[in-house]
Amino acid sequence: MFEESKVAFFLAKRSILRGNKGTLSLTILIIGMVFVNLIFLPSIITGVAVLFNQQSIDYSYGNLVIEPKKNQVYISQVSELQRKLERIPGITGVSPRYLTSATISYKGNVVTPVLYAINPRDEQAVLRIATKVSSGSYLADGDTGQVVLGSRLAGNEDEKLDVVPSLGGVSVGRVVEISFNNGVTRQYRVKGIVTSNSFSVDSNAFITKKEYEDVFGLEDMANQVLVRTIETGKENEMRNTLLSFGVQEKIWTWQEKSANFLNQIIGSFNIINFIGTAVSLVIAIVVIFIVIFINTVYRRKQIGILKAIGIDRSIIIKSYLFQALFIFAIGTLMGGIFLLLILQLLAANPIVFPGGPVAPVVDLPLIVRSTMSLFIVSLIAGYVPAWITTREDILSAIRG
Amino acid sequence: MIIGRDLTRIYGMGAVKVRALNGVSVKIQKGDFVGIMGPSGSGKSTLLHMFGLLDRPTSGTILIDGVDAGTLDERARTQFRLRRLGYVFQDYALVPELTAKENVYLPSMARGMTAQECTLACSEILTLFGLGNRIHHLPGEMSGGEQQRVAIARALVNRPTLLLADEPCANLDSQNSKIILDLFQRLNRDLHQTIVMVSHEEWHKKYFDRIISMKDGVIEEEVNRSEGGELTPSP
Repeated sequence: MFEESKVAFFLAKRSILRGNKGTLSLTILIIGMVFVNLIFLPSIITGVAVLFNQQSIDYSYGNLVIEPKKNQVYISQVSELQRKLERIPGITGVSPRYLTSATISYKGNVVTPVLYAINPRDEQAVLRIATKVSSGSYLADGDTGQVVLGSRLAGNEDEKLDVVPSLGGVSVGRVVEISFNNGVTRQYRVKGIVTSNSFSVDSNAFITKKEYEDVFGLEDMANQVLVRTIETGKENEMRNTLLSFGVQEKIWTWQEKSANFLNQIIGSFNIINFIGTAVSLVIAIVVIFIVIFINTVYRRKQIGILKAIGIDRSIIIKSYLFQALFIFAIGTLMGGIFLLLILQLLAANPIVFPGGPVAPVVDLPLIVRSTMSLFIVSLIAGYVPAWITTREDILSAIRG
Repeated sequence: MIIGRDLTRIYGMGAVKVRALNGVSVKIQKGDFVGIMGPSGSGKSTLLHMFGLLDRPTSGTILIDGVDAGTLDERARTQFRLRRLGYVFQDYALVPELTAKENVYLPSMARGMTAQECTLACSEILTLFGLGNRIHHLPGEMSGGEQQRVAIARALVNRPTLLLADEPCANLDSQNSKIILDLFQRLNRDLHQTIVMVSHEEWHKKYFDRIISMKDGVIEEEVNRSEGGELTPSP
């Protein structure tokens, strides 16, 4: 077996070294590009998933979301719950909040976004919205008569630039009118505008919890409590901890809250990725197959002669397998180098998605999966044509 | 050494059948230098292919060194060709990407010889054939005569019991043909190498100890060279 491989390797090496360099280089280039394609698109998809996941945590839910028990609208005595939660090890922030829909109008533009009512200081311990103020300033505890708007909601004077229904370019210091669903209508001065690239932040509005409770005549309640933990990824364990501390409300992880949205996006991307991967692998198999097939057909006579002088068919097949594997190895290496260059380029000039800049995520399982699939494809594409051509009887091959 | 009994080879399917060999029986002794001659289509190459285990007879048996070739499977036939037979083709049939040395080296390597043994064996034989200064040349860089000598060296490197040559001079001019035939004669006389060669050139006859003339798939005549050098019909 080893002797056979030695002879096969000898033949393959000479064929590579002294064969047609142009064809070989082109084939290697194609395999390199296929490798880049196998890695690049999934890495972008993973990058998008990472971005959206981080955004869900940083701008929408924190790590855990506590909501009222079944058939209840509010969590009552929320400050007691908050104190309880803040004493649990591993929790770094707790933010009780209300969310409701409200109608906001400004100069004839009427929009019905989600209105969040928050304790600004608590909110800052959980979410990062306060760090994304693009003009004016963020809410402070005790603010009344003031609202912070998301940049998409504030909109542009030129409505063609708007991606969602907007207030038509409201700016800091202007006054908007908010009609709540209990019939109360009040005027609010725009204190700040936030631009976070998170859809749930930039399309909605924020007032203080104090203001909301004043409008609705509520006290010490909330219909959502966001919880931030030290470690991301251990939400299920933390939920159990919260339950063991006697939290009786419904507890959701951020993954559960954002599952639908994210799954839809990732699901669509995965379909694109599957098609891209399949096409790439088909290209790889066809290219290597054609190159090896043409090579073997062109050397049909030579193969016949090799068999005639006593070189076993399996040695000849192996020599073509080695050639296919060489194309795979150098192609993969070249693709890897090219991919590194692309990643460097993207680090300097990131691709900006609606959610923000996306950094491609190239992890080991992705590299292993892509390399293995290309390896298997190369083996098949090298073996089959060599097997077909060497099957021919010696005299027919020699006569051509 | 080689015993062929009642060999037939029929090509083609259905109504159109060609009898390339039609009941040929032949015996070749160790140390013979046999020429198989005859016009095109006489069956001489077909008979050589049978001896070289490159083709199977439709009926009949071939024994080489006591081994019934018909009992060997494909892998065993390949091994038999590698270890016991040497084959020289009309058009040299060298691997174009291998140098002269590497072409000769290949069968030894396939036999499992060490790199050192292979190098020694092929350097020796190429020097013996007057190609000592061409060992690193590719076939495309050598003349037809040189290429054929490399092909003969390749056929002999494993010290085969039988050397088969299928019109080895067909693509060579008379000068190079003479070099090749002289080489065969030397191998036969000095090393007692058994050689079976197909030819249709009349002037080649003087090199053969025995000539088998074929026509229409049968042996028409067999002649042996007497000690006096005359060709006389076999009894």
